Order: sequence, then structure tokens, then C-alpha cells
Amino acid sequence: MTLVRMTSRLLGRGVAGLAALLVGVALFESLQAPVVESFGGARGISTLIESLPPAFQALARAQPGFSTFSGLAGSLSAGFTHPLYLVLTLAAVVGFAARSLAGEMERGTILLSLARPVSRPAAYAARVAGVVLTGILLSLAGAAGLVGGLLVARPEGEFEYRNLVPLAVSTWLVFWAVGGLALAASAAASTSGRVVGWAIGFVVISYFVDYFAAVWTLLRPFEFLSIFAYYDPARALTTGDVPVASLLVLGLVGLAGVMTGLVVFDRRDLPT
Amino acid sequence: MSTPTGQQAVIITSGLTKRYGRIDALTALDLAVPNGVIYGFLGPNGAGKTTAIRLLMGFIRPSAGRAAIFGHDTWRDGVAARRELGFLVNAESLYPDLSGRDQLDYAASISGRPPVLRRRLLDALELSDDALGRRLGSYSKGMRQKLALTAALQHDPALLILDEPTDGLDPLIQHAFEEILRERRDAGRTVFMSSHDLAEVERICERVAVARGGRLILEAAITDLTRRHRRTAEVRFAGPVPASLAEQPRVTLVRQEGSHATLAVDGDVTPLVRYLAGTDMTDLLLPPPRLEDIFLELYDTHGVNGATAEAAGTAISTRRRP
Repeated sequence: MTLVRMTSRLLGRGVAGLAALLVGVALFESLQAPVVESFGGARGISTLIESLPPAFQALARAQPGFSTFSGLAGSLSAGFTHPLYLVLTLAAVVGFAARSLAGEMERGTILLSLARPVSRPAAYAARVAGVVLTGILLSLAGAAGLVGGLLVARPEGEFEYRNLVPLAVSTWLVFWAVGGLALAASAAASTSGRVVGWAIGFVVISYFVDYFAAVWTLLRPFEFLSIFAYYDPARALTTGDVPVASLLVLGLVGLAGVMTGLVVFDRRDLPT
Repeated sequence: MSTPTGQQAVIITSGLTKRYGRIDALTALDLAVPNGVIYGFLGPNGAGKTTAIRLLMGFIRPSAGRAAIFGHDTWRDGVAARRELGFLVNAESLYPDLSGRDQLDYAASISGRPPVLRRRLLDALELSDDALGRRLGSYSKGMRQKLALTAALQHDPALLILDEPTDGLDPLIQHAFEEILRERRDAGRTVFMSSHDLAEVERICERVAVARGGRLILEAAITDLTRRHRRTAEVRFAGPVPASLAEQPRVTLVRQEGSHATLAVDGDVTPLVRYLAGTDMTDLLLPPPRLEDIFLELYDTHGVNGATAEAAGTAISTRRRP
């Protein structure tokens, strides 16, 4: 019960911001279907992508002919790898991890819990629960937005709604991985600003390793170091298939971050 | 474990030490705080008071030694140690987005005990229902302090740990709060508090520990301190000052002008008063010793390890570790 109360309190503090982000993510994804329709469906998107230089194709995370091959679902998946989507969603996850632990240590509000018969692992578990819930809400908001756009725009092409489930699982695992690492940073740091800096650095480097590996063969052997190498919404949305290895890697990265954070937080001195 | 006075100890520290790199924030603190008292922990800035309190709360890890509350190690078994405890958080550390009432409800919900004293505290501290309905952002410093105090005491904990509890309170509310602390003490609760307000400590505390530079330099009952402290007496006689006055035990004649004498008296004044009763004394001025004088004397740069501390009639702590 204490865990539920602490998690509610932590989520409650940023509820307005989170709600705005969820609406933003849903709106962004709802635009995908009308945008695809305005380009003449999947074939039009494919023509557009083929006209782009390879570097821009990599930025769009799509190869020539992909949209033709994968149809409407493949075209719509671009909304889940778009930098704006990644910025919105990962900012919410990292922001929560930073604010709820390092931020609370910085302000001293964490003492409201830890001065009472609450163990540090219990207090930490509330933060983990917050990251998990934030990720679930973001994944659902994206999927819901996409469905809303499809229902309104009704673009040509086939779309398997059941493939939204592996897509949501896949996106949630990215949030879990980044959130877990952000919690580890938050447990070690004493200011939320530092955590956000570290996490943004990690995500940006990870993104560009994945991006440059697509356009520069020399970097291809290092692609596995990027978390985005294990994130393929196009495959999830077109085939409903997510490689187990990718799920495992993202899941374990998140778990490693969470466990590291637990050990660090349980042993550290709280800042004055 | 019991205290030197034979009472059951609520807080026990032995060799409690905290180092930050090369800096010794607290060195080998040995304390035994008895049950059912208001205990003052004094010292200037940098004395180690806050470090000691943070160690007691399990917020930081000891570099050496240990601290226990109700027999539970505060670092290894912190949850059990904090089960019967109320702690005053910094008023600036309260959640700014919550109303006062929500803040108190949240504190009560994770304390696991009902807020049985809330109404009594709110009335005594003059925190209105209207104010409780507002967010903390609109609170003054004093109101935040009242709210933090209510949050710390509302569940009637067996032990209260308070760091500068009356900071920001006006004198009337300060006295009301002191009355609450006495009530809790009379109900068998224990209060461990640090304060810079020596007059306040003198009014409400039974025992004090004094730290300096991270070390405990004194631990005593307030009554012992004041009784044994060197006091100044002004005496006026009908005739000349008797020659035998300066020969009285533990009395030093500081100044003599005609029939008026200024004396320094170490410890108990009863023998002097008895002696003066047999003379032609016409007036005696013997102001009570103040904790502030004792404290300042103790902190005199040259006195801490030498004559001044002895003059204060107190022994510098040389208690051994158990």
C-alpha cells in the first residue's frame, strides 16, 4: 500500500506535464495516417523515399522500395522512429526517472518518505513502478493516436490492428531500457539536471551510432551498441513479429540499469 | 542498554564517526539518550550536529561505530529504527504542489500510524483549516515550519528527532510548541533536538550534549551544569568587608570597594550563603547561571581543554567506548 501511495505521489507531481506529453504523442501518431494518405498512400511514400539521398533515407529509417513492399503499415511505422516521437517519449521517461529520485534528493523531499518506516528498496521500487507506468502510458498513447488517425483518414492499404500489440511491447521495452539506465544515473547523481544530461547524451549517441551505421559501413560492426539496433517498429507493425533477441537485449539493459540503481541507492549517502 | 543515570536508553551511539574524505565531520560520538527526557544537542556551525542527526536517521552511512534507536541499528535496520520515530524535515523540503492537508495525509499514510495529535497540534500552532486547504507555495516560512512540525508529531511517536524545531516561529508559537514538547515528555515520549536558541534549550531540556569540531566535549544534566558553574555574587555589608570572606572555600574575591565585594563562586553556593548569614550583610545579588554563559565559556578558544571547562564545573567527556 505504501508503494502505491508513493508511486501515486511521484506520478501526481508531474501529472499535468505527463498528460500534455501523452496528448502530444497521440496527436503526433494520429497525423501519420493523413500524412501517408496525402502522399498518395504507401506507393507515394516509397517514391518520395527513393528520391531522397541515402543519408536522408537512413534518417527516415527506410530503404527504397520498403514502403511498397511493406504497404501502409510500413509507412505508418515511420512515426515511431521519427526524432520528434523519440524526443517526446524519452523526455517523459528520463524526466520522470531524474525528477523522482535525483530531483527528490536535490530538494530533500525524499526525506519525507525515508524519515518514516520505509526502506530504501521500497522507495526505489516506487520509482521503478513510475517508470514502468509512464512507459506503458506512452506506448498506449502512441498506439491509440495511430488508430485514431487511421479511423479518421482511412488511407488505402491493409493494416493489421493486432500488430499494434508487438509494436506497443517493442516501444515499451525501449522506454524500459532508457528508463532503467536513467534510474541508475538518478541513483548515483544528486541533481536531476545531471541525470537528464547523462541520459540525453546516451540516447543521442545511441541514435547516431544507429544512424551512421546505416550510411557508413565502417560503423556497421558497432551498431549492436545502440539500443535502437534492437528497435524495429516497421517489422512489428508489418509482420507482427519482434525478434526475441531484441526483446531480451532491451529487457536486460533496462533490468541491469534498475538493479545497478538499486544497489547504488541502497548504499549511498543522501545529499545534505 | 541503560544510561549512566540508570534510565533505559532510547538512542545509543558508540564510536559513531563520519568522514568525508579527509574531513572528520563527526568523531567517535558516544551518547546514551534516556527515555522520557527532552535532550538538547548543542554546538556551533560545523560542530557535527546535523551529521549526527543524519546518521541517527540512516540518511548517511557511518564511517565507523554505530548508532541504534530502540536497539535497532539505524543503518542496517533502519525501517525498524524509524517505526516509532518522528523526524522534522526541513520546511523547504515539503512538496510544493500539495496543500497542507494533503501533505499531512501523505505523511500519515506512510507512517503507518493514525494522526492522533493532528488537531491538538494545529490548534496550538495556530494553523487554520483555511490555510491547510492551500498549496504550500502560498505559505510563509513560519507556516511551513508549523506544517513540518505537525507532520513530525501528528502520529505521536515515541521518539522525536528535531533539528532547529522553532526556526522561523514567532515567540508566542515558540512557547506553545515548547508546551507541546513538555506534554509529550510527560506522556513518556523522548525528544532529541538540536538548537541554536540556548535560552530555549535551557527552558525545556533536561540534559544536553555539546559538540565542537565533530567531537563531543560535554554531556550533562542542565541542573548539574548550572549548579556547578562559576557564578558571580555581589555582596554589600553594613560595615567593611570581613577579612574572612576571601578565606571561604570555593570563593574568590574578585573586587572590593569599601563595604561592597564582588565574588566568584565555584559550584554550590550554600556554604557561602550560610557564612554570609552570620555577617552584617545588607544585600546579596546572586543571579542564576545561564546556559548561554556556560556555553560561551566552554567555547572560549583557550578554555575548551583547560581551565574554563573546569571553571564551568563540568568534565570534558572522557567516556570510554563500550
